[in-house]
Amino acid sequence: MDELTKEFLAESLEGLDRMERCLTELESHPDDAALLGEIFRSVHTIKGTTGFLGFKRLETLAHRGENLLGALREGRLIANEEIISGLLQLLDGLRGILQLIETTGGEGERKTDDDHVLIALLNGLAEGGPQKPVAPMVKAAEPVDAQVTAQAAAAADKTLRIDVEVLNRMMNLVGELVLTRNQILQTTLSADNFPKLARRLDAVTADLRETVMQARMQPVGQLFGKFPRMVRDLARTCGKQVRIEFYGQDTGLDKSLLEAIKDPLTHAVRNAVDHGVETPGDRLLARKPAEGVIKLKAYHQSGSVVVELIDDGAGIRIPRVLEKALERGLITEQQVASMTEREVLQLVFLPGFSTAATVTSVSGRGVGMDVVKLNIEKVGGSVELESRAGVGTTLRMRVPLTLAIVPALIVQSGGQSFCLPQGALAELVYIPRREAAQAFERIGDAELYRLRDRLLPMVWLDRLLTLDGHEERMQQETHGFYLAVLESEGCRFGLIVDDLLAPEEIVVKPLSAVLREIGLFSGATVLGNGTLALILDVAATAERAGVRAEVEEPVATASVAVAELGSRSGSFLIFEGAGEGASSGFRRERMALPLEAVERIESVPVGQVEFAGGKALLQYRGELLPLEDMDGTLLDLAAKGSATLATVLICRRPGPLGAQAGQRVGMVVRRVLDVSNGTLMEEDVEVCDQRLAMVKEKLTVVHQGFLGPLQSQPAQRQHWGAVA
Amino acid sequence: MIRTGMQEQKALRAGAQEPEEYLSLCSFTAGTARFGIDTHRIREVLGRRLLQRVPLAPAYIGGIVPYRGEVLTTVSFRALLGLPPFAGESAVLVLEDCESGDRGPNDEQEQHGTARESFGLMVDAVGGVVTVARSILAANPATLDERSKTLFDGAFRMPDGLLIRLDPGMLRPARLGGTGLFRHALGAATGDWGAMSCVR
Repeated sequence: MDELTKEFLAESLEGLDRMERCLTELESHPDDAALLGEIFRSVHTIKGTTGFLGFKRLETLAHRGENLLGALREGRLIANEEIISGLLQLLDGLRGILQLIETTGGEGERKTDDDHVLIALLNGLAEGGPQKPVAPMVKAAEPVDAQVTAQAAAAADKTLRIDVEVLNRMMNLVGELVLTRNQILQTTLSADNFPKLARRLDAVTADLRETVMQARMQPVGQLFGKFPRMVRDLARTCGKQVRIEFYGQDTGLDKSLLEAIKDPLTHAVRNAVDHGVETPGDRLLARKPAEGVIKLKAYHQSGSVVVELIDDGAGIRIPRVLEKALERGLITEQQVASMTEREVLQLVFLPGFSTAATVTSVSGRGVGMDVVKLNIEKVGGSVELESRAGVGTTLRMRVPLTLAIVPALIVQSGGQSFCLPQGALAELVYIPRREAAQAFERIGDAELYRLRDRLLPMVWLDRLLTLDGHEERMQQETHGFYLAVLESEGCRFGLIVDDLLAPEEIVVKPLSAVLREIGLFSGATVLGNGTLALILDVAATAERAGVRAEVEEPVATASVAVAELGSRSGSFLIFEGAGEGASSGFRRERMALPLEAVERIESVPVGQVEFAGGKALLQYRGELLPLEDMDGTLLDLAAKGSATLATVLICRRPGPLGAQAGQRVGMVVRRVLDVSNGTLMEEDVEVCDQRLAMVKEKLTVVHQGFLGPLQSQPAQRQHWGAVA
Repeated sequence: MIRTGMQEQKALRAGAQEPEEYLSLCSFTAGTARFGIDTHRIREVLGRRLLQRVPLAPAYIGGIVPYRGEVLTTVSFRALLGLPPFAGESAVLVLEDCESGDRGPNDEQEQHGTARESFGLMVDAVGGVVTVARSILAANPATLDERSKTLFDGAFRMPDGLLIRLDPGMLRPARLGGTGLFRHALGAATGDWGAMSCVR
């Protein structure tokens, strides 16, 4: 096939894709001239070029379509459902012929390649005549449709449009890379400019990587483009009314990942239409609008792209899922009792599971969700399912921005290096050797670590991987342990490693089948020092170690409370205040300040505190800061010498409602304990003029004077409900 | 790289059609025995390398090494023979993971996933290239134990002892896993995990 034809095919298919999007949009805005113009142009371009290339059949069909579109554009006809269906059939017809040209080189001369019916239909529509013959045509066109679109997509996958600007930048960077290489080849390790060259190489490589990644980034919207049509057709077959809405279509995603999530997403959308959204009758009974809405949202979140599919359908019925799972023997009766709702929803992803009462042509054959999950996980992503009966279902797919390069933390365990993907890493805790005994708590065989009053299951990496010398190291270990707090699919656990090496951007290399079978490693990478390190699959590690998803995260409920209760709750900085006799350690009180009032926490030698008129003052960043001493803390500290460090919270008193924030004050406290969410208690519960709050279910005194105007506003009081 | 592989394959096929009288083999040692692999089937000899071990891997996996920007899975030949690990640094041969000598219908399917993938073979020391006459090749003796039968492809009666012929196709990690004979190292502690991954 010559270049000209190839180009024509690529352009035409692209034009048809655009046309498809416009057509479905046209249905909701039948008199949008811009849309009509766009559709007309697509068909017109095809017609013009085909005449030149000599594809007669294509030309005739395009010509008929153009007639109909011309009538629409001039306002002689109004786009109704029949016309749009007709135009969609024209689209399929054109696409079919283009497809044929691509595979065979010709537009087909066989009997089956006859367009008379379609042409007659288009003519009929253009004349505004009776559209009786439409009905049989619709049925005939449908099976072809799916096949043809799939093939058309396959052709488009091989090419990628890149901004010339990006390509130029790439070339510049490659040029620079070559120059740097030349310089490096001419220099020696000991030369003075070597560090400079190395830095330059580093910078150029980083830039080049960035540019190549950018070039590979494609808007997710590309993927969404075919959904309106699909949803339209599906909804008609199922006798439902469904609208699809898109959000965040510009979100960029690596080309290869876009391909990887295409099928799972398509499947999920089909599922949502077929199983998710109810029939108009059922919806009206449930007091919902007859038309169901499917929302497709894409956005970036901490280094990954999240694609959410939200339907406002009936939701997944938990008892039904359980019943089905029992029936299929996927779980046992005993398991049912101990399962959380979250775990039950996960059953949907098991192979061979389907709750659809009837098998339809669209879905319900029991293949599906497991494939969705598998495909997403194959590219290092994860799938979550949320569902509320009667309200709807949310399917959340999380995929990494790019497959090839991920930021990771290199850790060491049992003398070997491993990579932990940064995405799963929540925090790092160092446990000194001498504290280890107290820090670890045991329940039976399970070891737990108490992290800010929450128990965290602990997993020893070396023990899990059966690396040699675990016991020996336990004996010898003098420097302590590192606890990497990892999160994956709702599981949270602490992974104990011997040492932390460095954060590195690693290039992921796939492992061979034999090693993939182990199931704990998602790949390997070559580290900066030339050695190999295995990349730990955090979700699989959690599963292997037996860590289960947390039942209900207390923090999550707290944040819900924040949202619902508004100003009454919020984040507090908790510190150790001192009541009477505090110096003896007795009657220590937990004090709290609203977090938004605290600007900084400083450590200041006591000697720097000055006094004027009996008041303690601190020179702080060119201003005089009055210090508020919590129950003689300052005096206690001063007694230990002028170099003793005092902890000072730099706070700002809230101004009157709506006004600028007030004066800065320094507050001397004994010890800062934590930051946490809490709720302020009713003012009636005040004890000796102190406001109390429940923070982490412990009584905490909130320091007066720093509560915002909202929080002390009397009018707000009546809305306050019971303390969580 | 792929192209060279194809060329080699062509050469191989040509070789299969009209068997040449002489074969050139790359010889190496593992334990006390001498082995040889057809030089056409060897992509590269990496020399002495420090391997990165893979925890929980089947016992016959020696580890992984970086090779031309990829991660090469390496089979430990000593482990296959049931010998204790080599004291020094082992040499690694890079072998083609395709076109095995004993291709059955099952093999075809297995290969689908791992086609064109090369793998490493960890041996004690690489000798050199020896040219031997096809006529002095003897088939595996019937008394050979099951493990060795799946590994060896006959032996050449060399003047200074036997040179056992190996077929890279028979040493493919996927095939070794499939036979189930090498899951457990002799007396190695990793057995449990091997069995588990087998179940999974």
